[in-house]
Amino acid sequence: MGNNDYIIEMLNITKEFPGIKANDNVTLQLKKGEIHALLGENGAGKSTLMSILFGLYQPTSGMIKKNGKEVKINNPNDANALNIGMVHQHFKLVECFSVLDNIILGIEPTKGLFLSKKGARDKVVALSDKYGLKVDPDAIISDITVGMQQRTEILKMLYRDNEILIFDEPTAVLTPQEIEELMKIMKNLAKEGKSILFITHKLNEIMETADRCTILRKGKYIGTVDIKDTTKEELSKMMVGRNVNFKVDKQPAKPTETVLKIENMTVPSKMHKNNAVKNVSFNVRRGEIVCIAGIDGNGQTEFVHALTGLEKMTEGKIFFDGADITNASIRERSKSGISHIPEDRHKHGLVLDYTLEQNMVLQRYWDTEFQKGGFIKQGAVRAFAERLIDQYDVRSGQGPITIARSMSGGNQQKAIIAREIDKNPDLLVAVQPTRGLDVGAIEYIHSQLVAQRDKGKAVLLVSLELDEVMNVSDRILVMYEGEIVGQLYPDKTTVEELGLYMAGAKKDVVPAEMNS
Amino acid sequence: MFLLLKYTLLYAVVLMLVALGGMFSERSGVINIALEGIMAIGGLAGILVLSIFGGTLSPSSLVVLSILASALAGMIYSLLLGFSAITLKADQTIGGTALNMLATAAAVVIVKAYNNAAGGGNGSASSKLSYSNNAFIFTAGPLTYNIFLIIGIVLLIVSYVFLYKTKYGLRLRSCGEHPQAADSVGINVYKWRYAGVMISGFLGGLGGFAYIVPSVSIWNFEVGVTGFGFLALAVMIFGQWKPFRIAAAAVFFAIFKSLANIADATALSNLHLSQNIYNMMPFIASMIILALTSKNSQAPKAEGIPYDKGAR
Amino acid sequence: MKKKKVDLSSGALSVLASLICIAVGLIVGLIILYCINAEQAIDGFTRIVKGGFYLMPKGLGSVLAQTAPLIMTGLSVAFAFKTGLFNIGAAGQYTLGALGALYFALVLHAPWWLCLIAAMLFGAVWGAIPGLFKAYFNVNEVITAIMFNWIGLYAVNEIIYKGTIGDMYDMKTTKTYTIRSVSAGSVIPDLGLNSVFNTKSTTIAIFIAIAIAIIVYIVINKTTFGYELKACGHNKDAAKYAGINDKKNIVLSMTIAGALSGIGAGLYYLSGVAEWNPQVSTALPAMGFNGIPVALLALSNPIGVIFAALFVSHITVGGGYLPTKYFQPEIADVIIAVIIYLCAFVMLFKGFVVNMIASKRKNAADANAEKKTNDGKGAA
Repeated sequence: MGNNDYIIEMLNITKEFPGIKANDNVTLQLKKGEIHALLGENGAGKSTLMSILFGLYQPTSGMIKKNGKEVKINNPNDANALNIGMVHQHFKLVECFSVLDNIILGIEPTKGLFLSKKGARDKVVALSDKYGLKVDPDAIISDITVGMQQRTEILKMLYRDNEILIFDEPTAVLTPQEIEELMKIMKNLAKEGKSILFITHKLNEIMETADRCTILRKGKYIGTVDIKDTTKEELSKMMVGRNVNFKVDKQPAKPTETVLKIENMTVPSKMHKNNAVKNVSFNVRRGEIVCIAGIDGNGQTEFVHALTGLEKMTEGKIFFDGADITNASIRERSKSGISHIPEDRHKHGLVLDYTLEQNMVLQRYWDTEFQKGGFIKQGAVRAFAERLIDQYDVRSGQGPITIARSMSGGNQQKAIIAREIDKNPDLLVAVQPTRGLDVGAIEYIHSQLVAQRDKGKAVLLVSLELDEVMNVSDRILVMYEGEIVGQLYPDKTTVEELGLYMAGAKKDVVPAEMNS
Repeated sequence: MFLLLKYTLLYAVVLMLVALGGMFSERSGVINIALEGIMAIGGLAGILVLSIFGGTLSPSSLVVLSILASALAGMIYSLLLGFSAITLKADQTIGGTALNMLATAAAVVIVKAYNNAAGGGNGSASSKLSYSNNAFIFTAGPLTYNIFLIIGIVLLIVSYVFLYKTKYGLRLRSCGEHPQAADSVGINVYKWRYAGVMISGFLGGLGGFAYIVPSVSIWNFEVGVTGFGFLALAVMIFGQWKPFRIAAAAVFFAIFKSLANIADATALSNLHLSQNIYNMMPFIASMIILALTSKNSQAPKAEGIPYDKGAR
Repeated sequence: MKKKKVDLSSGALSVLASLICIAVGLIVGLIILYCINAEQAIDGFTRIVKGGFYLMPKGLGSVLAQTAPLIMTGLSVAFAFKTGLFNIGAAGQYTLGALGALYFALVLHAPWWLCLIAAMLFGAVWGAIPGLFKAYFNVNEVITAIMFNWIGLYAVNEIIYKGTIGDMYDMKTTKTYTIRSVSAGSVIPDLGLNSVFNTKSTTIAIFIAIAIAIIVYIVINKTTFGYELKACGHNKDAAKYAGINDKKNIVLSMTIAGALSGIGAGLYYLSGVAEWNPQVSTALPAMGFNGIPVALLALSNPIGVIFAALFVSHITVGGGYLPTKYFQPEIADVIIAVIIYLCAFVMLFKGFVVNMIASKRKNAADANAEKKTNDGKGAA
């Protein structure tokens, strides 16, 4: 195979950030007209590598070649000049501009001093017809669906006659129908001679669309395989480096009385005009781990916020330990025995500029244990923090007086978990508690959740990770587009079946009383 | 009634020019709280030109020169805001506040030093400058107008066309709404923010001069521009960062300001409302509007947030 | 051992950053003096730097009299900063505080402490307004405060000039009556300080201001209320998650900030430093705006505010000693303005250095943690 078969080659790329090697001697070769997947877990270095190709970062060492010739890409303009385009994970669209204005931004056609949009409009309409990218060029971005916004991003690349198209986790924000359509569009583009780089960690999508796949793990290059010669299992093994099987060591659940009862909860969305949570009802009992599974953005966040009081619900009721807490404040809910490990530890979980000990009492500083007459008992706070640090093995540079910002993600999460579990709650709500953490931390957190259950507490776990869902939970509720579409039991179901529910392909009429 | 119209036109042009200036800065993503200071510096520069070249130049060249001086001075002064807010990514409100304080203090020092030197070092500590403004004013029909009315209308149209009909306007707006998006298509966000700030300096400096010159022939720089820069900020918000709405808001605010001016001298005095009350009204009006419109404010989304290329 | 060292270096950096701002500000001042009159520049500069000490003991007395209100406006700005709010409204709150103090003194002839409380309450109301607008209408507190600065100024001038709520305006001096002549009991006692410093307005105000600074320090650092306020300032979402009512805290924080500014005006006018002039006051009181550099130089530390305020009034008084034959006293204002301008980003530089230290530490901690995890696994 001659070198010129490759339209883009990234050879021996290393990128160091202060303290970490995000890419360590990575090589990626893209053939003309292929769909090439880039696979890896969160933090494997996929986005860094693509940012280097797009000129957002400069590599510490290594070389990029286009059509066999070395090129330097110092900024997005250079990338654009080399016909490289990118659909970013978070769209780069100006919300109050029209689709057309977003497409022409940066390479605006002008007549004399003034903008002349007619030619551009015709070109955009022609392109959207050719590739089946349905979108109204005059619509304002904030009025159109996420899928349409993504199509605008694709049109942006096509309008610039880009040949190499990078898609950074394009399906994370889409509905199943939109995903299907995107897959079709990508295949279409490849057929027309465009070369596609497709960043993902979803194996099904790779198997369905990609020709080849390069796998990264912890910043290192693992290998490149032909999709037709491989299996999902093999890819998965290359991605995580061992057979996926964090079997959590636990006994069968022995649920007792109901502690949480949710009736017909409806929560409006802040993103769109529909409801994010639609008429959801279920119960959680002591001694069981109930997991809400689903693809990101199907209403899980809004559900948890409504449950913990961060957001208001428009309909329905919540009963906790028999009491109606529908209108209770956040503080009252917390006091009554609900602990909440939030989805975003930096946004909600910690005050990053506070010390570790100050964060340890974030939910309890008002307790007479820690204050008297409005004055904080410094000694009591210190002793408490030291006990938690010791008991939950929270590591930090300076112990209780470490500024939370300077701690590692895993230890920040451990601190939150220590704080929330030590409250001895009747219900522990844990939202993606292992996101972005290493294997050791994940195992530790899973064992803590099981320990809570075994102490007779109820655990409500919200997770996007299939393995976590299957291994940790005793009962699974699948949430799809704001509704509970199925109740499954990990020992009686398969990942495949769960996947079907999560993708909305399968749906049960779930009875309002879901006790067993 | 003519008096009211005269003052309204005078103030409306000033408020509009300065508010348009604020609009350009904020549309590019930089909060410009320093308008008050920029006005003072622009006004000072223009009047110094009038004072220095008053006897030596022809009236028309004097007009052109002094106007250019005021706009340029405002532009250069605004670079200080750009440097701190864009290059050094400092807090935009604090930087702006510093520039307001600096402008008044510096203007007083400069005027006093100038007067002292003119008086041969006699220790004169006057912070006032007097000048002739005849060349700026012309009469048509029953009313006298000043040249800034024409300049203002031209600049309003130019502003609108620039913002909405040229690629430069599109780029500038994108930097204030979503700088990451602008950057990703190769637009230099820093450059466009500097451009926004400098346009605002240009219009603010010009506005400062337009405020001082036509109405009186002596100015005490100790009072800066008596809060007109802040009023222009209110006009800009009232006008929801849109050129023609700003023009309308400027007229509305100018009416109150004019009422304050003529309150004691005309039939209005029968109402027993003193100028203080009229002076207060535009500020109160803008607070009411702010409270009512806050839910769907048209403020540029990225204003006030320093753009950092590295952070994503 | 290790811990102490880092704290020191971070604290030292803060002081260093403030000193850099001051030094550059003074150098700019010196350059201006040179530009205006090279021969007299050094003499002028010495007078500014010597400040109150140039004319002992009177100068020191007036520095102290100026410092008291400045500590209060500095505390006002600093307190709001702690909750993540920029209180540019100190000037307006100060104006209202002045009205409260003058009304209770000149019209009601109330004792000085009651006048001071009135000043505090009047200022608090004016501070609460931007807080309410921020909490309930989501309007930026800076914009509201600017608008209410002017509304307050015009309102106070109107009330005093027209005598709406009582006779306070002296036609002869075109200022408010001197409190000492109308209601001697409304003047803050000087306990002999005036005779020590050979001044008329050096009262115990400075001690009141210092005491309040210490109280503010305790409230911010030692109480649950301070804990809540700072949590809101650092991370609104986390504060909400912790069940803290952020709206209540925004309003409270601004109200207290307003109260502090109001007391500042009380300390100034009730000491008889000057009288209010409703005719010429077309500009907001500089004392309010000067609270901003004080808070910035002090990095919002209430104890630091005391020293920063002393410094700012020191050079303001020094500026007053410039020979007007050659120089303008406003040069001191230029220096202060330059210092705020520098503060806006020199503090960032300090933050940058601290972050560098933090990230190094974090990497070390991560590496440590990783090593330990691996060790743990090996053992298991």
